[in-house]
Amino acid sequence: MSVWIFSDAFLITLFSFITVAISLNLEAGFTGIPNFGKHVFVFVGAFAAQGIGVRIAAWIYEKVEPQAAQQALEHLRSMVPGATWKSLVGAAADVDANRIVVNNYLRPFFVSHVGLEALLVVLLLVVTVALALFFGLIASYAALRLKEDYLAILLLSFAELMVMVLFYQSQSLNGGNQGLWAITFTSDPVKFALIGSGALAFISYLYAERLANSPMGRAMRAVRDDDVAASVFGRDIAVIRLKVILVSSVLAGLAGFFFIQNAALSTSMTFNRVIWTFLPWAMIILGGMANNLGAVVGAIVFLIGKRLFEYYQIPISNALHLGSSIVSALLPNIFIGIFIIVILYALPQGILPEKPSKTVKFEEILESEQGEEA
Amino acid sequence: MSILPSLPYTLDALAYASAIGLLSMGLSLTYATTKVPNFAQASIAMFGAVTLLLLIDRYYYYHPGWSVFLAGVVLGGLVTGAVAWLVYVTVLKPLADRGNTVIGLMIATFALDIIFVNVLTAYLDEAHGVHIPKLIGASITSFEPRLHIGDYIVYGYTIALPITAVVLTVIFHLFLTRTKFGVAMRATIENPDLASVLGVNVNLVYMVSWFLSGFLAGAAGALMAYTLKGVDPSAAELIIVTVFAGSIVGGLESVYWGLIGGFIVGLAEKLGMTLLNNFYRDYFVLKWHAPNVSLLNYEKFMSLGLVVVMLLYAPRGLAGIDWGAVARRLGLRRGGGGR
Amino acid sequence: MSEAPMIEVRELNAGYGRFHILFDVSLEVEPREIFIIVGPNGSGKSTLLKTLFGLTKVYSGSVKLEGRDITRIPPHARAKLGMAYLPQVGNVFAELTVAENLKMAGYTLEASELEERIRDVLEVFPFLKQKLNAKAKTLSGGQRQLLAMAMALIREPKVFMFDEPTAGLAPKAAKEIIDKMLWLRKEKGKTIVLVEQNAKLALEIGDRAILLVSGRVAYRGKASELLADKELGKKYLGLKG
Repeated sequence: MSVWIFSDAFLITLFSFITVAISLNLEAGFTGIPNFGKHVFVFVGAFAAQGIGVRIAAWIYEKVEPQAAQQALEHLRSMVPGATWKSLVGAAADVDANRIVVNNYLRPFFVSHVGLEALLVVLLLVVTVALALFFGLIASYAALRLKEDYLAILLLSFAELMVMVLFYQSQSLNGGNQGLWAITFTSDPVKFALIGSGALAFISYLYAERLANSPMGRAMRAVRDDDVAASVFGRDIAVIRLKVILVSSVLAGLAGFFFIQNAALSTSMTFNRVIWTFLPWAMIILGGMANNLGAVVGAIVFLIGKRLFEYYQIPISNALHLGSSIVSALLPNIFIGIFIIVILYALPQGILPEKPSKTVKFEEILESEQGEEA
Repeated sequence: MSILPSLPYTLDALAYASAIGLLSMGLSLTYATTKVPNFAQASIAMFGAVTLLLLIDRYYYYHPGWSVFLAGVVLGGLVTGAVAWLVYVTVLKPLADRGNTVIGLMIATFALDIIFVNVLTAYLDEAHGVHIPKLIGASITSFEPRLHIGDYIVYGYTIALPITAVVLTVIFHLFLTRTKFGVAMRATIENPDLASVLGVNVNLVYMVSWFLSGFLAGAAGALMAYTLKGVDPSAAELIIVTVFAGSIVGGLESVYWGLIGGFIVGLAEKLGMTLLNNFYRDYFVLKWHAPNVSLLNYEKFMSLGLVVVMLLYAPRGLAGIDWGAVARRLGLRRGGGGR
Repeated sequence: MSEAPMIEVRELNAGYGRFHILFDVSLEVEPREIFIIVGPNGSGKSTLLKTLFGLTKVYSGSVKLEGRDITRIPPHARAKLGMAYLPQVGNVFAELTVAENLKMAGYTLEASELEERIRDVLEVFPFLKQKLNAKAKTLSGGQRQLLAMAMALIREPKVFMFDEPTAGLAPKAAKEIIDKMLWLRKEKGKTIVLVEQNAKLALEIGDRAILLVSGRVAYRGKASELLADKELGKKYLGLKG
C-alpha cells in the first residue's frame, strides 16, 4: 500500500498541486483575489508543450533535417489517407498524425540532439511564461476593476470558455476532444517531470514565504483586509495586485508544463475546473488561507486522502449498494464536494490558520506611516 | 443561402433565451437577498429536468399531451425549489453563521454544483431501467406535443417556454407588489436592517427567496431539457456561464433586469451567433475564401463578449442605466436629424 | 413606575469593535421632554444614539428604558418596547412606494388596525396622500424625513430618536420637521431625543441638553442655558456670541 504514495506519477501530481495551491494562495489567501479560473492558467503550460510545443519541435526538425522530415511527411501521408497538412508542422498538431510524429520522429530526434533539446526546453518555458503573463494581464485587467464576486464569476467564465469551448471543441488548436501527445524531454520524461515539478514546488514555496514576510507581503494582506488601510500604507494597490496575479499565473503555467510531461497524451479537459480550480481551493481552505505551509499541507493531506478514497472506492460503492462503475467513478467528486463544505463549517480557518503575529494591524500601519513621515 | 435563420430555429432560440432568462432571474434574486453568487444555479435546474424525465416515463410516455409542460413546470419547480431551500437552510446559512466570507460561500456553491452534477448523473445511470423503465438513454425529444403550421413542425416546447417565462414573471411581479410578504421581500433586499427593525423575519425572506429562485430554475430546467435534446446534468457546467452572463448584463441585483439580461444573452448566443455565422459564411468564406469554420461552436463567446462590453460601459448592468436620459438623448438626436 | 425616567444611561462605554468612542456617558431623559444631544463633528453624537438603540458594541455601563435594563437586547426588541430610531439616511425604503413604506412600518400589526393607523397618520402628514403611489426615492429630502416620521408614528412608540433630521435641508423644510416634533410632544405626549448639527435650531426647542466632546459629556443641563453659554457655544458649537 505504501508503494503508490511514492510512485512517480503521484509525486508529480503532488508537486504540481503544491505549486498551484501556493500560487492560488498568493492570490486568494494573501491578496483577496478570488481566482475561480485557475485551471486555464495551469492549462497554458500544457498548451505550450502540446499545441505549441509539437509545432515548434516539428519546425526545428524540418529546418535541421529537411530530408528526413520530407520522408516522414510522405510516410505519414501514406498512413493517414485524405490528410490535408502540407508540412510536418501541420501534421504534428493533427490528431491523426500527432502520435506518430511526436513518438516516432520528434522525440528520438531531440533525445539524440541534446543541444537542440535544451534549446527547445528553454523556448517552451519562455512560451509558457509568455502565455501565462498574457492570460494574467487579461485577468488583472478585470481584477483591478471588479468587486470580488463579479471577479470570481468573470474569471470562471473566461477559463471555462477558453478550456471547454475554444480548445476542447475545436481540434485545430490543441487536438480538441482527441487530445495531443505533448513534446516530452530526455529519454526519461517521467524523471524530467519529477525533478522539474519538485524543484518548481520547492522554489514556489521559498518564493512565497519570502514574499509573505516582506513589506510587500504585508501590503498584500493590507489590500485584502482593508482598502483604506492599504491606501494609508502608501502602496499602489493596482501594482501589488498586478504583480501577484502575474507571478501566480507564471507559477501555475510552469506547474502545468511539468505536469503534462508525465501525462503526455491528454485533452484540454484534463484541465477542468473541478480538478485544477476547485481542488486547489479545497487545498488552501483545508490547509489554511494565507499560510504557505498550509497550502502545502492542504495539498498533501488532500491528495493522500483522495488516493485512499480512490483505493477503497470499489468496497465503498459496494457497501453503498451502488451497482454501476460509472457511479463509483463519480463518487470521489461527490465526496470532495461534501468534504469541503464540512471543512468550511468545522474548520473555517483551516488546519494551519493565518499566523496573526505577522499580520500588520491598522494602528501599526498608521504608526509606521507616521514614523516614516517624521 | 439566406442570412436569416429558419422559423423553427428562431423559435428554438426564443425558447432557450426564455429559459436562460428565468435562470438568471432566480440567480439575481438570491444574489439580491443573500449576496451569494450561486455557482450551482444551473445544476440545481437539472433537478427540474430529471423530474420531467420521470414524469414522461410514468405518465406521458404513450400520450404526450400539452399538460406535460404544465406538469413539468409545476412539479419541476416545486422539487427544485425544495432543493434550493435546503441548500440555503442546511449549507449556506450555517456557513454564514460560522463567519464564512462571501468567498467561502461561493466555494460552497461551487462544491454543491459538483455534488449535484455528479449525483444526478449517477442517479440517471442507476435509475434507467429501474425507476425509469421506458425511456432509453435520456432522450425526451420525441415525447412532446407539436403543431404543424404550413411546411413547418412547431415543437411544443418552443411555445411553452416563452409562455412559462411570461406567466411566471407576471405571477412573481404580482407576488412582489400585491402581497405583504412580497413587499417585505423588496424592502429586505433594499435595507435588511430597517426591515428587521420593523419586524420582518429576514431569515424567512431569505429562505423564501431561495425557494423561489429554485422554482424558477426548476421550471426553466424542466423545459430546457427539450432545447438541450435530452437530460444531461453535466450540461450545467457550461449553462452556468450563460446564466451568470445574463445576470451581470442585467445588473446582478435586479430581478426583472436579470430576466431581460438572460433573455438577451440567450438570444445573442443562438440568433446573434447564427446571423454572424451566416454572414461570415456568405461573405468571408464564399467570396474571400476565409477558413471555413463554423462560428456556431463558439456561441458561448457571445455571452462573455456581452458581459465584457457591459462591464466596460455600464458596470451596474442594464438596471444601472438611466433609461430616461437615454430616451431624452435619443429624442434629441432625432430632433437634430429633422432640422 | 411613572417615576422612572424614560431613558436612563449610566457610565456607558461603547464603540465599534476596537474603536472605543463613548467614555463614561450618563444621562436621563424624562417622559414628554425634548432632549438634545449636540457636539462638534466626530464627538460621538450619532454613536450615542445608535448605542441607545443597540446598534453598537457596549463595553460597560447600562441603558434603561422606563426602569427596565435594555443594554443587551437587540434593536428589533427595543422597537417592540416602544423605541423608534430614525437614522439620517436609509430611514425609508427608496424603491418602495409611499403606501408600501407605510405598510412596512406596521408590518407586525393586524390588517384592520394598520389601515386605521395609516389613515390617522395621513391626517397628520396630508401631503403623503397625493404621493401614495410614488416611489419614496422621488420625494425631496425633507419629505423623506417626514415619511420616516410618519412610519415611526404608525408604530406608536414612546420615544422618537432622530439623527440629524434637518441636515442638508432648506430652512423651510427643516422648520416643517421641527414643527412636527413639537406637535408629537404636545399632542401625542411623545418623548424625543434629537441629535443635531444645527445646535441653535435644536437648543431653541429643547428642554434639556448634553454637550458631547470627544465622547465625553462636557455639559449637562437646560438647553436654554447651553444656548446662552457663550464660551461653550463658541468653542464647540459654532454659535456666534
